[in-house]
Amino acid sequence: MNSKTLKKLLKDWRVALLLLLVVGSLVGIYLIPPNPEKGFEGNLQFGLDLEGGSWLQLEFQSVVVGYSTTGSVDDLVTNLQTALDTEVIRIDENHLEIRKDIQRDDLEPIFAESGASIVTYQKGVSAYTADEVKRILNEKVNALGMQDARIHLLTPTGSGFPQYVRIELAGVDMATAQEIVGKQGVFEIRIQTAGNETQHVLYGDVITSVSVPQKDPYTQEWGVGFTLSDAGAEAFREAALRYGAVDNPSAHHLIMLLDNKTVYSAPLSSDLAAQLRSAPVRSLSATTGTGDAGLDAAMALEIHLRAGALPVKVDIVGSGSVPAALGEQFKTMIVVAGLLALLTVGLVVYYRYREAAIVLPMVAINLSEIIILLGIARFVIQLDLATIAGLIAVMGTGIDQLVIITDEVLHEGRVPSPSLYMKRYERALGIIALSAATVIIAMLPLALMDLSTLRGFAIITILGVLIGILVTRPAYGKIIMAILSK
Amino acid sequence: MEFARYDVNRYSPRQMVALPLVILLLALMVLGYTTLTTGLPVTPGIDFAGGTAVTLFTSESKETIEAVFAGYPLLSVGEGIGGGRYIQFGPMDDAEYQSLVALINERYPDAKIDQIGETFGETLRSQAFLALLFSFIGMTIVVMIAFRNLVPAGAVVLSAFADIAVSAAVMQALGIPLSLGTTAALLMLIGYSVDSDILLTTRLLKRKGKLDEKLAGAFRTGIIMTTTTLAAIAAMWVVATAGQIQIISEIASVLLIGLVVDLMNTWMLNAGILKGYILRGEKR
Repeated sequence: MNSKTLKKLLKDWRVALLLLLVVGSLVGIYLIPPNPEKGFEGNLQFGLDLEGGSWLQLEFQSVVVGYSTTGSVDDLVTNLQTALDTEVIRIDENHLEIRKDIQRDDLEPIFAESGASIVTYQKGVSAYTADEVKRILNEKVNALGMQDARIHLLTPTGSGFPQYVRIELAGVDMATAQEIVGKQGVFEIRIQTAGNETQHVLYGDVITSVSVPQKDPYTQEWGVGFTLSDAGAEAFREAALRYGAVDNPSAHHLIMLLDNKTVYSAPLSSDLAAQLRSAPVRSLSATTGTGDAGLDAAMALEIHLRAGALPVKVDIVGSGSVPAALGEQFKTMIVVAGLLALLTVGLVVYYRYREAAIVLPMVAINLSEIIILLGIARFVIQLDLATIAGLIAVMGTGIDQLVIITDEVLHEGRVPSPSLYMKRYERALGIIALSAATVIIAMLPLALMDLSTLRGFAIITILGVLIGILVTRPAYGKIIMAILSK
Repeated sequence: MEFARYDVNRYSPRQMVALPLVILLLALMVLGYTTLTTGLPVTPGIDFAGGTAVTLFTSESKETIEAVFAGYPLLSVGEGIGGGRYIQFGPMDDAEYQSLVALINERYPDAKIDQIGETFGETLRSQAFLALLFSFIGMTIVVMIAFRNLVPAGAVVLSAFADIAVSAAVMQALGIPLSLGTTAALLMLIGYSVDSDILLTTRLLKRKGKLDEKLAGAFRTGIIMTTTTLAAIAAMWVVATAGQIQIISEIASVLLIGLVVDLMNTWMLNAGILKGYILRGEKR
C-alpha cells in the first residue's frame, strides 16, 4: 500500500470515524481528567468484585395492596393499623402500602371486615418510600465520609413497586457494611431556657410515629408531623411549663439534635403553648418554611426524626464481600485473559488465511473495538467480572463477523472489481446487521431487567455489537479492500 | 481439525438431520427428568437456590477444608490452580451464617464471600426464566421478519432452540449449575447460534450458483467463524478457571459447550432442513 491509497483511505468517513473514536476513547480514559496515579486503569470504573468491598441486598418487609371499597378508606386504614399493629399509608386512590411482611390470605379477612376487597397484592413499597430509604442510606454513608457507595433500588419485572435495595460499599468489609446499615443515631429534643442555655426534654425513643412532609393549606408552609407517647407528651408539657415557654413561647426555641448536632431549631408556636397550658399534646408538627426549600428541609427533618431508622423494616437477603487484594488479582488475570484471547484469535485467523495483510487488520480492528467499548463503558457502567466476560464474548462475535466480510468479498481468494466488491460488501453487512439485531434482541431482556446483576454483561454486549455494526465492520471492509486491491 | 473433514455435501437431508434430532430428544429427556425430580430443568446453583459461595486461596488440602467447615451445610469444595478454592454452602440461618463469616475472616482473611437468601434466589430464578423467554420470542420475531419464509426461519429457530436445550442438558450432565452467569451464557448462545445460521441461510437462498458449492463455501466460512470464537472463549475459560474467577469460568464453559453444539445443529440440522427444502423446490 502506498501513501496515496493511505491518504484516500483516511478520507473515507468510515475509517476516519473509527480512528476518531479510538483516539477519543483513549483520551477519555487517560487524559480527561488525567489520572496518572491510576496507571493503566486511567478513568475506567471498576465494580466491587474488582475493586474490593462489600454489598448488601435488602428486601423491604412491606406489601402494596390495590383495593376497592364501598365504605370509608379512613376506616379501612385505621382497621388495618390496629389489626396489624403497623403503619399503613395511602399511596394513591386505590393503593395502600402496608409496612409489614404479611400474606394476602391473612389480609383478606381484615379488608372484608371494612367492606373492602383486595384487587392486587405485591411485595414492595411505594416509590416515595423507596426513595426515602435511598436518601436515608445515602445520608448514613455520607456521614461516614464514604464517597464510593452505590445504592440502587430494584423492581422485579412484572411488579410496579421496588422490592429490594442494593448497597455497594467500596473498600469496606461486610461487618462494617452491616453496621452502617443497621446503625441508628441518638435523637434528642432540648428546650432553650435563657440565652444559650438549654435543657433536655426527651429522646427519640418516645417518638412513636413520623409523618411524611405535609403542606399547610393556609400558611403554605411545609412541616413534618410526629407523635409522642403519653410519657413523652407529659415530659414535653412539664418542660414547657417549668422553663416558662408556655408564657413566652417566642423566647424559647425547641432544638432537635441528632448525635449532638442541631438539625432543627424554632420557637414554640403560640397555639401549641396555649394547648399545653391545659393538657399534654401528643401530636406535634415542626414547620420548615415555604416552597422547595421548605420541602427539602422537611424531607431532611423527617429522616432526622427517625434518627436514621428506615421507615420500613428490611431483611438482608444477600450479601458479599471481596478483599481488595483479591480484586487486584482478578484484574491482572482478566488482562491476561483478554490478551490471550486476542492472541489465540490472531493465530486461528492466521492458520486460515496465511496472510498477514488480512490477519493484522483483523486483530487491529478487534483491539480498536475493545478500546472504543471501554471508552464508552467508562461513562455508562462500571466494569465487573460479568462485564469483562461480556467484553471477551463480544471479541468472539466481532472476529466472526470480520470473517464473514472477508470471505464474502474474497471470492476464491481474489479481490473482485470495485463495483462487484461493493455489492458483496453490502451483502456481508446485511448478514451482519441481521445477526447483530438478533444478539441485541436476545440481550435486551437482561439489559432492561432491574433485578439482574448481569445487566453489565448484557449492556456491554449490546454496545459492542452496535459499535461493531456502525463503526468497526464498515471500516474494516474499506481497509481490507484498500490493502488487497494493490 | 477433525470436524473440518466432515463433508457437508455427502449426506442426504434425512441423514443430516437424524443425529441432531436424536440428540435433541435425548437432551429433552434429560431436562424433563431433572425437571420432574428437582422442579427445574438444570440443577440450580447458589444464585437461584440460595446459599453461600466462598473463593479463597490456601495451601490447605481439600480434606482439611472439609474438616474446618464440617459443622456447616457444606456442598462442595472446588480446586483451581495456585491454591484457589471455590467452596459452596447450602442455605443457612442468619446466626449460622454470621458464625461462618467470622470463621472465614479469621482463618482466611482474603476470602471472597457471596451469600444469596432462599427467597431472593427464587425471585432471581423467575426473573431469569422471564429473560430467557423474552429473548427467545424476540429472536424468533426478528428471524421471521428477516426471512419472511416459514421453512428457513423455522429451521433457524429450531436450531437455536436445540442449541440451548442440548447445552443445558450437557451442563446438567457435567454438573455445571444454572446460575446468573450460565443463564446469561445461554442467552448469548442465542446470538452466536443465529450468527452462523443466518450466514448459511443467506448464502444458500440469496446467492446464485450450484447448491453443493454454496453449501461448501458457507461451511468453510462458518467453521472458521466458530473456531475463532471458540479460541477467544477457550482463552477466557483457561485463565478464569485457573484463577478461580467462578462467574467467568461458568460463562465460558457454557459458551464452549454451546459453540460445539451449534456446529452440529447448524451444519447438520439447519443445513439438512434447508437442503431438503431447496431440493424439493427444484423438483417442482
